[in-house]
Amino acid sequence: MDKLKTGIKNLDGILSGGIPVYSLNIVSGSPGSGKTILVQNIIFNSARNGLKSLYLTTISESQFKMVRHLQEFEFFSDEFLGDKFIYGDLGTVLRKQGTEKILEYLTEMIKRHEPNIFVIDSFKAIRDIFPDEKTFKAFVFDLAAALSIWEITVFLIGEYEEIELTRLSEFAIADGIFHLYGQEEKRFQKRYLRILKMRGTNFENGEHLFQISPAGIEVYPRIKPKGKELQYGVRQGRKGFGITGLDEMMDGGLTEGTITLLSGGTGTGKTSLALKYLLDGAEKGENGLFLSFEEPTSQLMDNARYLGWELDKYLADGRLDIKFISPIELDVDVHAFEILNMVRGNKVGRLVIDSISSFESSVSDMQKYKDYLWAIAHQLKMRNITSIFTVLNEDLFSPASVTKDQISLIADNIIMLRYVEEKSSIKKILGILKARGTNHDRDIREYEITPNGINVLGKLDKANMLR
Amino acid sequence: MNDFIYKKIERYENLLREMWTASEKYIGTFSVKLLVERVVWDLSKEYREIELLHYNEGMISCAEIAASMKKNPNLPIDDMFMKFITRYVEILSRLIGYENTDKIANWLNEEFRDIPFDSKD
Repeated sequence: MDKLKTGIKNLDGILSGGIPVYSLNIVSGSPGSGKTILVQNIIFNSARNGLKSLYLTTISESQFKMVRHLQEFEFFSDEFLGDKFIYGDLGTVLRKQGTEKILEYLTEMIKRHEPNIFVIDSFKAIRDIFPDEKTFKAFVFDLAAALSIWEITVFLIGEYEEIELTRLSEFAIADGIFHLYGQEEKRFQKRYLRILKMRGTNFENGEHLFQISPAGIEVYPRIKPKGKELQYGVRQGRKGFGITGLDEMMDGGLTEGTITLLSGGTGTGKTSLALKYLLDGAEKGENGLFLSFEEPTSQLMDNARYLGWELDKYLADGRLDIKFISPIELDVDVHAFEILNMVRGNKVGRLVIDSISSFESSVSDMQKYKDYLWAIAHQLKMRNITSIFTVLNEDLFSPASVTKDQISLIADNIIMLRYVEEKSSIKKILGILKARGTNHDRDIREYEITPNGINVLGKLDKANMLR
Repeated sequence: MNDFIYKKIERYENLLREMWTASEKYIGTFSVKLLVERVVWDLSKEYREIELLHYNEGMISCAEIAASMKKNPNLPIDDMFMKFITRYVEILSRLIGYENTDKIANWLNEEFRDIPFDSKD
């Protein structure tokens, strides 16, 4: 089946290539949810592909206002007005000639302009003018049939509430339903899009975040684990930290393609250890990506210099990449998707997310946080990327739990960093709590972070890791 | 006007009726009527006489076209009807897919061997 490409970032992917041509689609949502911009974005993208659109408004907004608002967007181009973008006023016909003349008028407009895409904004306004449901239903049926015979892809925009989507007749006749809505989450005003129905194509169901920017609409698909079972080939390759004592404890390093949680209190050196892990990879010719949600790149570089590590040449030749995303700006819905995009683009072998605790603080509900982590972990494993997620353990001296939200379930390996008191001094210790498929060291060892790097020292006699 | 022309128009009328019936199975009576309406409108820019085609549920008549031949004996009826059929099949192919239209075209080819059909024209 031929598809109409929307040209909207990631939307065609969600729709398995686009919207089936000649389909009748309803775009619903409350005022301000982005319905009109979504459709106009599709129309202008289509105009660039040589397709003509007929845009009929009822009583929603005048052409003057519409054009004025559209000018704000990069997708808009006035060269299409009157040529590939035909604007018509259906409101006047409705008011002066009544509902029985609508179909006649629409057919006339179609014959005159021969559009590929046809829009009514707002269709809900037409519904309100019809005397009863029966007459309106007959009109919708006739409209759908007539427009498909004219080989037109249709978008009917309407201010429908979610509850109406299951009750009203136009939704039964529609081939596709896009429902747009927004809600406030933490510090963000989020916009979501759900495809409730799309005949003739597979589509990714569920809630997809979208944003409206000067570029237009950008959709961030809901990421989810693919497949029913998580089954991965057992790999034997090892990826070390380049820290002798620690690599020995891990029987040569982290098993290739695994997820490691590096859990510890503030100041225990989680970031430094993770950075060293990527540096070791870069020295061996592997590409590494460090996603920092806590320290800006300049600060990470300063820390590396203090430890005697030179990152510059690897940053310059692309073997190492550091991306800083401010925790204030961190939006899991957006960044989870972008992380996977970065990983795909850079042929990354090693990845660090520092820290997933920042993820947690930016999501509104814990289930969503877990779903995202699970999905990201799954996608990384599928791509055989050996990853470290740092996680803040707020209990400095007692590892009551690795994380407070059972995130450890996603990890193949867990390295615990914490403090112990000894003879009025505070020491740092580390232990391997878990390392799937690895004969790992069970000892608790002291380590130090000095200008000469990170050194794992001897076994600590009296520290009790699980106290 | 000679009988030959009448016979020809009658043959086209039968063909259009069969086309109508065959398409009904796929898109329904209501949409067939709309499709015929669209093709009539498309073709009327070139042949005004096509507007004399009468059609309704299960009924299609070329009687008025035949009558108009008295006034306009030079009407290229073969061209007009062949363009009608080609356009109809072309749109139908895009609506229901070439595979299904091919089935209709093949069946019509069997019935009307002298008129070539091709859904990919």
